[in-house]
Amino acid sequence: MPEKKHECIDAGSEYCPCYLAEVNECITCSQLQGKSFCDCNWRGVCIYQEYVWAGNKSKALRKEYIGEVLERIPLTDDAMILKIRVTKTKARELKQPGSYIFLRDLKKPDFFNVPMSIMYADEIEGIIYVAVQILGIKTKAIQAVEDSIVIRGPYWNGLLGQRYIKQTFDSECLMILRGISQAPAILVINKLVSQRNQVKVIVDPGKIGKIFIYDFINKEKVEVIEQDFLSQEGWKKISTELSNKNLSLVYSGGSDKQHLEILTEMEKNNSNAYLVVTNNSEMCCGEGVCGSCSTKIDDNVTVKVCKVQLDVRKAIERRILQHG
Amino acid sequence: MVKVVVIGGGWAGCAAALAAQKAGGYVTVIEKTDMLLGLGNVGGIMRNNGRYTAAEEAIFLGAGELFNITDRAARHKNVNFPGHSHATLYDVTKVEPMVRQLLKEKGIRLLIQKRAVDVEMAGNRIKEVVLADDTTVSGDVFIETTGSTGPMGNCLKYGNGCVMCILRCPTFGPRISISLKTGVEDILGQRAAGSYGAFSGSCKLNKDSLGEEIVKQLNETGVCVIPVPPEDVKKEKLDMKVCQQYALKEFAENLVLLDTGHAKLMTPFYPLEKLRKIPGLERARYEDPYSGGRGNSIRYLSMAPRNNAMKVKGVDNLFCGGEKSGLFVGHTEAIITGSLAGHNSIRYCLGIPLLELPVNLASGDIIKYANERIKTPEGLKKRYTFSGAEYFERMKQKNLYTIDRDEIRKRVERVNLINIFNERLI
Repeated sequence: MPEKKHECIDAGSEYCPCYLAEVNECITCSQLQGKSFCDCNWRGVCIYQEYVWAGNKSKALRKEYIGEVLERIPLTDDAMILKIRVTKTKARELKQPGSYIFLRDLKKPDFFNVPMSIMYADEIEGIIYVAVQILGIKTKAIQAVEDSIVIRGPYWNGLLGQRYIKQTFDSECLMILRGISQAPAILVINKLVSQRNQVKVIVDPGKIGKIFIYDFINKEKVEVIEQDFLSQEGWKKISTELSNKNLSLVYSGGSDKQHLEILTEMEKNNSNAYLVVTNNSEMCCGEGVCGSCSTKIDDNVTVKVCKVQLDVRKAIERRILQHG
Repeated sequence: MVKVVVIGGGWAGCAAALAAQKAGGYVTVIEKTDMLLGLGNVGGIMRNNGRYTAAEEAIFLGAGELFNITDRAARHKNVNFPGHSHATLYDVTKVEPMVRQLLKEKGIRLLIQKRAVDVEMAGNRIKEVVLADDTTVSGDVFIETTGSTGPMGNCLKYGNGCVMCILRCPTFGPRISISLKTGVEDILGQRAAGSYGAFSGSCKLNKDSLGEEIVKQLNETGVCVIPVPPEDVKKEKLDMKVCQQYALKEFAENLVLLDTGHAKLMTPFYPLEKLRKIPGLERARYEDPYSGGRGNSIRYLSMAPRNNAMKVKGVDNLFCGGEKSGLFVGHTEAIITGSLAGHNSIRYCLGIPLLELPVNLASGDIIKYANERIKTPEGLKKRYTFSGAEYFERMKQKNLYTIDRDEIRKRVERVNLINIFNERLI
């Protein structure tokens, strides 16, 4: 039986075809997987054509560049928002939901790169915002950054189920966010609002202890409710919201466990809404090479989730199985 | 109710849909572009040589609707051009709306701009077809008429790249081999030199871009033959084309133009600069493919193994027609194989024996002959059409070729198949 094809977030972008094509590992194109005939998961462009026309070469990899740290807005002792000046073009590239970059201190070597979701991008001023929670070695190094910070990007696969965001107009949407996951939700909220959707956001501040999205969204158009999910009463509230039959899209920003609980609840309610979740894979290179984000989806099939838009259910279940 | 799903709305798919509907099926046609007929939108040649016999056979068999349309949409009838007699040239700008209207009138459900990308199987049966938008179409029986042309990567690897043909893959997405998705391997046609696939055999010039004299001749007679400057004659080009019935030296030494609404140029492609050296073609520009100076679409990379009742081997409820079913060339061949596939899809669902057309009809003979030849390496390098090359020779040898309608009617009567495709089985 021919294998099912995966959807690469970079297909057709200015970074496609990428290095994977040169080694017959393209995620989309059968010709660039070393096969003799076309059998691709079409993304609107012929990657093989792009590759051959470029003289059988891939496009240049994303380069590192320096951003200027303009401001640190403390959230807690262990969390802050960084306001970083980049070029207007870079900011524009990071405006779509799911955008992320790698950050590191100028004085540290490559392996200090830490993936960070874009919270907000202002392409008029050339400014991006990221929310950093200090969790370990690499984020501690970010805490120590002075004026300049090394950025590599743009990357886009920070959310799974992105196409559902693009196709939802004039509908009811529910977003369930916990802790630092408020950050990547802002691009989603703004996108959904711009598509005339009615957006309700339920936030559990979690360890961050506060809601920090207000300054980046249109408060008049978005209903924000604070709710502790972990309490029985809080979860009951979520269940009630999820039983709304008019919902077209549900977004879960939080842990894989949270995603799974929401998915289970939606299935219990026979919900027809699409589910979009934050991609919680550990990422290191972002280019489908290093393997730190590898997720086994079927026997013998490993997918690099830094680039692949995996089926949401498959992604959640497999990751919970693998990582417990 | 028997639910029949036809994948691909070209000539073969439309014929299959009509035959299945007449036999009592509820029929859905899935078409990836915004028009039915696929390459039929740039074709136009009917009834030349043995196709006349085959068209009349089909009419007596009860599959006359589409031939009726191409006859009604004819710009020219009884046209002769090198190697070919009594051709009908239909107007490519008229025929698609006529076919679409007919299918709608018959109650056939058309899913236009919907691309089939996968199948869901239940054991050895197709349960449903998955579309590119993640929706599904379920059915009792499926007919694949997706053709064998493109997509872009194949045209690049085995041809001169995407030249923007009527199938418009960049807009509507690639053709997917449905039989391959069920796990049945494709059969691949070869060129004389052993490479895979073959170029489509003709391109079309915009008639308004041609000289007055040429246009006048085309409008009046349907044909215009212009000698190629001796330095530009390229006989090796004949080897690479699909349409071996036009792979004659006259077609290398001359430009043969036919009037199908556009000026159909009977060569796979011709560099624009060289074309414009020829008197009367100084302003010539291409209509299909848009880059006809560079190349043409690549075909025959995706045939399904089948039996002579058009059922795909290895899948219980899948039939095929047109180029998907063998190395056939032409609308007539597509309509005949498609009609048989459509009719048999209903027989299959009712559990009654499938119809095979007898070999004393040209239609039955070509279906069987092409199926035998495809199993041999040399047979994979040939194309099979009533209108010329190897198969037309065979038609003549077997006395199958005739333009005597009474004789053709008698032949169909003799095998007791008059109007078989008009019979309602449910």
